[in-house]
Amino acid sequence: MRPAKGGTVSAPWGSIFLDEALSRDEAERVLKRLWRMLRPWRLRIFISALLIVGQTACVLAGPALVGHGIDDGLKVNNPDKLNLYASLYLGVAVFALVMGRLSIRAVARIGETFLRELRVRVFRHLLSLGMEFFEREKTGRLVARLTSDVEAMQELVQTGLTMFIQNILVFVGALIAIFLTSWQLALFTLVVVPPVYVASRWFRRASNRAYLDVRERIGTNLATLQEGLAGVRVVQAFGRERAFTRRFNETNEAQYDANIKTARIATRYFPVVEYSGVLGIAIIIGVGGWLVDAGTIKIGVVLSFVLYLNSLFEPVQQLSQLYNTLQSAGAALHKLFDLLDTKPSIAERSGAIDLPPVGALEVDEVSFGYAHGPDVLHSVSLTVAAGERIALVGPTGAGKSTLAKLVTRFYDPRSGVVRFGGTDLRDATIQSLRERIVVVPQEGYLFAGTIRENVRVGRPEATDAEVDAALEALGVRERFSLLPEGLETEVRERGSRLSAGERQLVSLARAALADPALLVLDEATSNLDPGTEQAVERALEALTAQRSVVVVAHRLSTAARADRIAVIDHGNLAEVGTHDELLRQEGRYASLWASWTAAQSVRAS
Amino acid sequence: MSDQAREAQLRRAGWRLMASTVRPQRTWVILGVGAGAVWTSAKIVIPAFAGAAIDDGITPGDGGVILKYVVLILLVGLVQAGGTALRRYSAFRISYRAETDLRQRLFAHLQRLHFAFHDQAQTGQLMARANSDIQQVNQVVIMLPLTISNIIILLGTVAVMMLKSVALALLALGTLPLLGYFATRFSHRIAPVSLALQQELGDLSGVVEESVAGVRVVKGFGAERRQEARLTIEADSVLDRALVAAKMRSNFLPLVDFLPAIALVAILWYGGHLVLDNKLQIGDLLQFNAYILMLIWPLRLTGMLVAQSARSAAAAGRIFEILETDTAVVDPPHPKPLPPTGHGELRFESVRFGYSSGKPVLDGFDLTVQGGEAVAIVGSTGSGKTTVARLLPRFYDVTDGRVLVDGVDVREVALHDLRRSIGIVFEDTFLFSDTVSANIAFAVPDAPLEAVRAAARLAGADEFVVDLPDKYDTVIGEQGYSLSGGQRQRIAIARAVLADPRVLILDDATSSVDPTKEHEIRAALQQVMQDRTTLIIAHRAATIALADRVVLLDAGHIVAEGTHHELLENSEMYRQILAQGTTDPGASTEPERTRP
Ligand SMILES: Nc1ncnc2c1ncn2[C@@H]1O[C@H](COP(=O)(O)OP(=O)(O)O)[C@@H](O)[C@H]1O
Ligand SMILES: Nc1ncnc2c1ncn2[C@@H]1O[C@H](COP(=O)(O)OP(=O)(O)O)[C@@H](O)[C@H]1O
Ligand SMILES: [Mg+2]
Repeated sequence: MRPAKGGTVSAPWGSIFLDEALSRDEAERVLKRLWRMLRPWRLRIFISALLIVGQTACVLAGPALVGHGIDDGLKVNNPDKLNLYASLYLGVAVFALVMGRLSIRAVARIGETFLRELRVRVFRHLLSLGMEFFEREKTGRLVARLTSDVEAMQELVQTGLTMFIQNILVFVGALIAIFLTSWQLALFTLVVVPPVYVASRWFRRASNRAYLDVRERIGTNLATLQEGLAGVRVVQAFGRERAFTRRFNETNEAQYDANIKTARIATRYFPVVEYSGVLGIAIIIGVGGWLVDAGTIKIGVVLSFVLYLNSLFEPVQQLSQLYNTLQSAGAALHKLFDLLDTKPSIAERSGAIDLPPVGALEVDEVSFGYAHGPDVLHSVSLTVAAGERIALVGPTGAGKSTLAKLVTRFYDPRSGVVRFGGTDLRDATIQSLRERIVVVPQEGYLFAGTIRENVRVGRPEATDAEVDAALEALGVRERFSLLPEGLETEVRERGSRLSAGERQLVSLARAALADPALLVLDEATSNLDPGTEQAVERALEALTAQRSVVVVAHRLSTAARADRIAVIDHGNLAEVGTHDELLRQEGRYASLWASWTAAQSVRAS
Repeated sequence: MSDQAREAQLRRAGWRLMASTVRPQRTWVILGVGAGAVWTSAKIVIPAFAGAAIDDGITPGDGGVILKYVVLILLVGLVQAGGTALRRYSAFRISYRAETDLRQRLFAHLQRLHFAFHDQAQTGQLMARANSDIQQVNQVVIMLPLTISNIIILLGTVAVMMLKSVALALLALGTLPLLGYFATRFSHRIAPVSLALQQELGDLSGVVEESVAGVRVVKGFGAERRQEARLTIEADSVLDRALVAAKMRSNFLPLVDFLPAIALVAILWYGGHLVLDNKLQIGDLLQFNAYILMLIWPLRLTGMLVAQSARSAAAAGRIFEILETDTAVVDPPHPKPLPPTGHGELRFESVRFGYSSGKPVLDGFDLTVQGGEAVAIVGSTGSGKTTVARLLPRFYDVTDGRVLVDGVDVREVALHDLRRSIGIVFEDTFLFSDTVSANIAFAVPDAPLEAVRAAARLAGADEFVVDLPDKYDTVIGEQGYSLSGGQRQRIAIARAVLADPRVLILDDATSSVDPTKEHEIRAALQQVMQDRTTLIIAHRAATIALADRVVLLDAGHIVAEGTHHELLENSEMYRQILAQGTTDPGASTEPERTRP
């Protein structure tokens, strides 16, 4: 990802809008790549361009036909010519109607299918990226890629592109027409071009800058809005609704101010352009009168110049307004391309092999650190035999979750190797890796959908009966069946329909359904009551008799039930052994255990 | 009510909402309309002057007349430039003001809406209301002044044409009603499609959002393909809807050019024959032609406005739908104060409560907590512990029975007073993207740093906060430094402590605190709980033991109570929930066996 070119990074959307302005070079590259991507659509694009040209030509031809009808029909009293031009006009109008209809459909089909492809492609790529990418990038920014960035192009697709082509056609057509009519008068008329050019250049720069500011303020405002929604329960719990509404008012008014600034810029620019047009008419009348007097041109020429002038100035104004749409679509594409160019850090090696169905996990002299940070794991070695159950304990920040992430290949180690059944995880196919090794994170993250659908995440091809069996095996099926809609209960966004513990149960049921060779539970039971926790763990144990389990636990009672316990401290493997062995060693674990059991038996004061 | 009737009703409400949002901008609307009229008149006058200059100046070769018209054109040009400046500015000003005000109104309302509403609502959809829907509304508002002045001009032109030749005028204008008919039909048809499209876009961003936010699950289970399939479905429905909408646009928009062209053909043909029959001057024909040409642009704008207004009204209708939702939890008409000397005595009297859809979660729930007492609520997962905690600050209202704080029914106290006297630590910790100190001082933003630090120390947060890069000024939350679950919980405890509430509720507030910290947190909590009433929901014996009394919740009411040890001795269910004392032949390392 290209870093933002400075500015504050206060909002998830804030920073992405800073790099909005593309340099000419970048714009060119984006366009080239877009053209390459559009290869399958090229024929259709060509056809639609023809349709638009045809339609524009028809619309432009109308007034000319009227002129001919008057000059060749009425003035010389020729009713046949009049009828001819009238019917020609009718024909042209019908033609324009048909082509207009076809071109709107054709452009929409190209644009919308392209956007659909883009969405799917970017999303697929996004999901293939490594964990470190997701930990670096904020959710809001990534969502914006697939929503507001793609939608920025939607406007272009719907109306912008057609208008763009039409306006250029009209402008060029009118320009050619005036030069063909009288190059002398055309040259004089073009005197108004320099002021329009200077004003347009100023407008483009000023509005670009103001527009960036607007986008940034919108980003900040959206972030406040989103936070106000996500945190509404906390806001209400502390009676801070008014204060938070005031806070939103600030960012909201800031967005207004930035918008008004762009309005001021437009307010300055358009009078200049319009007055230049009026100046053009004055020049045509004054100079034209003189040229007629000198016998250089006929009166009719002056008349048609006045008519054509409008066709020169309208497009200039329209194009200035379209410029922002184009600009933001270009910037959006650029960002999407950047995302597509980000290489997945965890990719499948060519010639990768499937992991064996069961096997021992070996963590061999593994060191690891995040991004460019210092090592958080120092040469850790640990073996988990097939069917063994091992608990990781240690203070917060010791590196337990990090070890869990390495074991599931969310990250690759800096040095050392993680093997499963003797195969280096880096040599394994991603598919087999995800099937054999499954991690259940602490937050029982649920997707919108029913309970059944959420359990099925563990194994998408599972039948309803298998899903039910997994829930049954955990001993939680009855609990959910008792809900009014049973297993078909919609859990709602993030599972807000369920209690925190119930969410963890659903995510544990996924693991039971997936039935992996190695199960990693990263505090996956912290919100359960210990009774349920124990029952669930036993059920998992029974299910996974032949399977290995790595469990990160904060309750020592959970750890104590494991076959072996590994104590992690400051990124080092401090102790490892069975509960009884470690107690006998009287080391770190023993003292933890002593204070834990002491706390369990404290009498209320 | 049928869907269609409801939709029509919402659209009408949408129009009303738009009108009420623009109303405060009256002055600017009038200015804009005036400027628009002046501007358009100037645009008409200038070509007329040019024509006059050609007829009266250039044709006879009169330099003085030419000069006169050149000067006149340049002067009227100034008026036109001024007109365009004012009309543009007022249009922007009206629409941005309307947009800002509407968004503010929506936000303020959302902030007040009850929990049950937010349970049902999807963040993505609400964001869409406040963002893309408001922009849709804006599109109409911004065209408003110009359209009004266009209509004035239109009527004026029609009158002039009628005066010249009624027959020709009727012929020329005959297509207008048709245009109106098609525009109305179009707007009716496209409204539901654009609504559906917006909905699909919302669903699509929902899939993206959950895949990114839940990426650990997606990757952990290798569910990338599943999510991709879901996204593809959404992207396909977006495509389908967008194509349907495009088809409708393609049926309508070209008509906006076509129908006036038909009028021009009619004038040329019928008017031409009138001229040939000497019933009409050629100059009049030219003028009719010019009028129609002049009307094309305003007509096209009006057509676009009609097309857009259907979308906008639908969007405004969706916003209205939220604004019309009344907060279910409201301030009483005559709020009673909480007794100033109260110590936070809590009473639940035969409380019955169930979430909107389901059966009652609490049924016959009775509990009295003395002022200053600490009571732990224990129950199995999903038994309703959190629900009990939610009833106290009126996040939900009871279906039956009463909840009293210091002898006053919570429904009779001003909401703000009630909630400020209750501090709650949620089981899902939510922190704002702000500095540590701002997060802790959330309830009391002007609290001095000393107070913030004191609260942090009490919650056991100070020790790790001072190790953060910018200490108390470190930005945390989604956009900031990522803290571990236990650290987040401790910040949340500090936040509740600093509010200095009468009643403190800790809902599983120590679940992620690691065992090495257990001891310190315990000591800290003990201090925090002094002099206030505390409800503790916890699964750890160490935390439960902080309470004076423990109640056991099952099947919606309390089934046993006593001290931790009494319950351990007397209640099989209690032992089971805490996984203590149950016989367990299978596990050789069962904690009880190693207990001294
Ligand atoms: N995504 C991350 N980026 C940078 N540092 C991280 C990240 N996740 C964890 N860390 C750091 O790595 C260390 C180990 O963290 P973690 O494995 O989460 O510990 P534990 O699970 O034992 O609490 C900590 O110092 C933590 O701050
Ligand atoms: N927002 C909600 N909407 C509907 N049902 C809910 C909601 N929150 C919780 N529930 C249901 O109410 C019951 C009690 O939940 P809760 O009080 O959170 O349990 P506990 O805190 O004891 O684990 C559960 O069955 C849960 O599914
Ligand atoms: Mg709970």
